[in-house]
Amino acid sequence: MKRRNLILTAVFLLLSVIFLVYADNNFDSYIVRILNLCAIYTVLGLSMNLINGFTGLFSLGHAGFMAVGAYATAILTMSIETKQANFFLAPLISPLDKIVLPFLISLIIAGLIAVIVAYGIGAPALRLKGDYLAIATLGFAEIIRVVFTNTQRVTNGALGLKGIPSTTNLWWSFGIALFTVIVMISLINSSYGRAFKAIREDEIAAESMGINLFKHKVLSFMIGAFFAGVGGGLLGSLLGTIDPLMFRFFMTFNILLIIVLGGMGSISGTIISAFVITIATEWLRFLDEPIKLGFLTTPALPGLRMVVFSALLMVVVLFFRHGLMGTRELTWDMIFGFFNRKKPLTKGGTK
Amino acid sequence: MKKALSLALVVVLVLSLGLTGCAPKAEAPQGGEPAAQPASDVIKIGVFEPMTGANAAGGELEVEGIKLANKLYPEVLGKKVELVIVDNKSDKVEAATAAARLVEKDKVSAIIGSWGSSLSMAAGNIVKDAKVPAVGTSCTNPLVTQGNPFYFRVCFIDPFQGTVMSNYAFNKLGAKKAAIIQEVSNDYAVGLAKFFTDNFKKLTGDENCIVAVANYNTGDQDFTAQLTNIKAQNPDVIFAPGNFTESALLIKQARQLGIKTPFIGGDTWETPEFIEIGQDAVEGSVFSTFFATEKPITTESTKFLDAYRAEFPGKEPAAVTALAYDAYLIIIKAIEAAGTADSVKIQEALLATKDFQGAAGVVNFDENRNAVKSAVLKTVKEGKFTFMDVVEPIK
Repeated sequence: MKRRNLILTAVFLLLSVIFLVYADNNFDSYIVRILNLCAIYTVLGLSMNLINGFTGLFSLGHAGFMAVGAYATAILTMSIETKQANFFLAPLISPLDKIVLPFLISLIIAGLIAVIVAYGIGAPALRLKGDYLAIATLGFAEIIRVVFTNTQRVTNGALGLKGIPSTTNLWWSFGIALFTVIVMISLINSSYGRAFKAIREDEIAAESMGINLFKHKVLSFMIGAFFAGVGGGLLGSLLGTIDPLMFRFFMTFNILLIIVLGGMGSISGTIISAFVITIATEWLRFLDEPIKLGFLTTPALPGLRMVVFSALLMVVVLFFRHGLMGTRELTWDMIFGFFNRKKPLTKGGTK
Repeated sequence: MKKALSLALVVVLVLSLGLTGCAPKAEAPQGGEPAAQPASDVIKIGVFEPMTGANAAGGELEVEGIKLANKLYPEVLGKKVELVIVDNKSDKVEAATAAARLVEKDKVSAIIGSWGSSLSMAAGNIVKDAKVPAVGTSCTNPLVTQGNPFYFRVCFIDPFQGTVMSNYAFNKLGAKKAAIIQEVSNDYAVGLAKFFTDNFKKLTGDENCIVAVANYNTGDQDFTAQLTNIKAQNPDVIFAPGNFTESALLIKQARQLGIKTPFIGGDTWETPEFIEIGQDAVEGSVFSTFFATEKPITTESTKFLDAYRAEFPGKEPAAVTALAYDAYLIIIKAIEAAGTADSVKIQEALLATKDFQGAAGVVNFDENRNAVKSAVLKTVKEGKFTFMDVVEPIK
C-alpha cells in the first residue's frame, strides 16, 4: 500500500512537471499568469490555513504580512536605476538604495522580516481569543498599510513602486508552492502539528497535557507569516508594481474565501480551492458581459461573477459547514477507497 | 447522498477546469496566425476600467465617454470598431490579469485605461511585453508612462498641475507663504503637493515659503488638529490636494475655525459632492482641471458636448468622461494614420501624433508620452463651478 502511494505520488509529480514544461512553452502569457496566480494563492492559502485552520487562531492580518514581504522583496531586488526613477519625490534611505540582491535571497529575507513582524504582533495579540484576535490582527494589517503609506523614504508612500523585476515564472511559483506543501505536510505530521491541532480542539485540555500554548501559537503565527511574506514577494514580482492600497482587507478576504471553501484544516482542500477559485474568477468573466440566451439578451452586468462566489460561500456555510474537504486530506487511499466502497454496492444491486 | 453530492461537486470542478483549459486551445488557431487579424472586418479596442469596487464611479464615467466616442466614430479604415470592456475590480492583481486577457485572448489592437494610476501601472509590463499600445485616461502619476514606450496618456501629469497651481498662487494671489494639507494615502495628492512645493520655492526664492505641511488619510472626518496648527503659521494660501469629500470637510472646518485663507486644489474637486458637502465654505476655492463645459476648447469639444447632452439629458459631462473620449479618438486617429490595425504600427502612429484635437483640449506627447496640454482654472461661485482661466502648457 505504502509503496503504491509513493509511486503514485512520484508519477503525479512527474506529470505535473511535464505539464509545467508544456505550459511554459505552449500557453500564452494570459494562461501562464493565471497558473502563476493559482500557485501563489496556494502558498498564501496554506500559510493562512496553518494559522486559522490548523491552530484555530482566527487571524485576519494576512494582508499585512504580504505587504511586508512584497515591499521587502521589491526594494531588495530592484536595480539602482529603477530605484532612483521610482523615488523621485524623496530619495530612498541608504543603505537600501545601494543594495541589489538575487530574487531567492530577497524572498527569504522578506519572509524573515515578516516573521519578525509576526513575533512583534503575535506575542501580545495571541493572548486574545476568537473575535478579539481577529479584530486585533485586522487592525495590525491596517497599521502596516498606513505606516507604508507614510514612510515615503522607504516605501515611496502612496505612489507605490514600479519596475520590480518580473522574476516570477511558473518554475518559481510552482517550486515555492511545492516547497510550501512539503513543509506544511511535514509540519502537520510532526509533534508540533499535533500540538497545533490540540490547541485548535481545546486549549485547556491541550495545556493540561503539557503543551506550551504561547510557544506553539506564536510558532504557528510566525511560520504562517513567513510563507505569507514569501507569497507577497512572489505576487509583487509577478505584477511588477505594488502600492499600499493593494493590501487592503480585501486581499485577506480573498485568501479567507479560499481556505473556507477548501476546508479549514485541510492542505489538499486549500490547494484545490486556490486553483478552482483563481481559474473560476477568470472563467466566469462571461457573466459580466451581455449574455445572449436565444432571443433574449441581457445587458452587461459588471460584478455578476462575484455574486457567484458570494452564493457559493453561502451554500458552503449553510450546507457544507466544513468546506470542500473539512479537516480531511485527499490521499491516494481515500481516492481508492471512494471507488472501492462503491463496487460491492453496485454488485449487490445487480444480483 | 453525501457521496453523490461530493461526486457532483468534483465533476463540476473538473468540468470548470477542463473548460478553462480548453479555452486557449480553441483560441489558438485564431491567435496563431496574426496575419489573419487585419483581414477580419472588426478592429478590437480593449477597455479595462474599474467597473466594480472602490473606484467604480470613476470607471463608470470613463466608460460612458468611451462608448459615446464609439457611437460617434464607429468605424475606422472601413471596419467596425468593437470595444472589449473588461472589469478590473479596482484591484491591482485583477487589473494585470484583465490586461493580459485583452492582449492574449481578445487580441485587441490597442487598449484604453484606466482610471487610477496604480491600476494602469499593473498593466504596464503586459502591454510593454506584448507590444500593444495603451492610452491612459486619467492616470496622472508620472511613473505610469516612465520607461514604457507603449504607454501613453491624454491627461496632463501631476508635475504640471502642481506647477500651474503654484504659479496661480504666486502670480494671481500674490502669496509668499503657503501651507499644504495633503491626502497622504493618495499618490495623486502627494505628487501634486511635491511639485507645488518645488515650484513655489523657485518662484519665491525662499526656502521656508512652505510654512506647514499636514497629512491626512482617506476617510478622515476631523481635521481640526492639522488646521489649528496651520492657522498658527498664518499662511497666504492653503494648497489642499485630495479627495473631494475630505477636502470639502476640511475647508468647512477651516472656515469654522476662522481661517480666511484662500484654498486651492486639484481636479478631483470637480464633483457635485464637493459643493454639496462644502456649501458656502467652498465658495471662492480655486482648482485646476482638464476642461470646462462653458468654454469649448476645440471644435471636437463642441461635438462631444452636444452628443453627450443628447445622450444624457440633464447631465453635464465630467472631465474624465471627456478624457476617455479623447483616448478612444486618439487611437482611432492613430489607426487611420497607420493604415492598419497592427499594434506596433499604431504605437508608431501615436508617437507621431501632433496637435491632436480632442474634446478636452489639444494633445501633444512629450518624450515620456505624456500629454502636453493646457489646464483650466475653475472656481466655485454661487454654488457652481465657474470657468476662470486657461493656462497654456509649459514647453
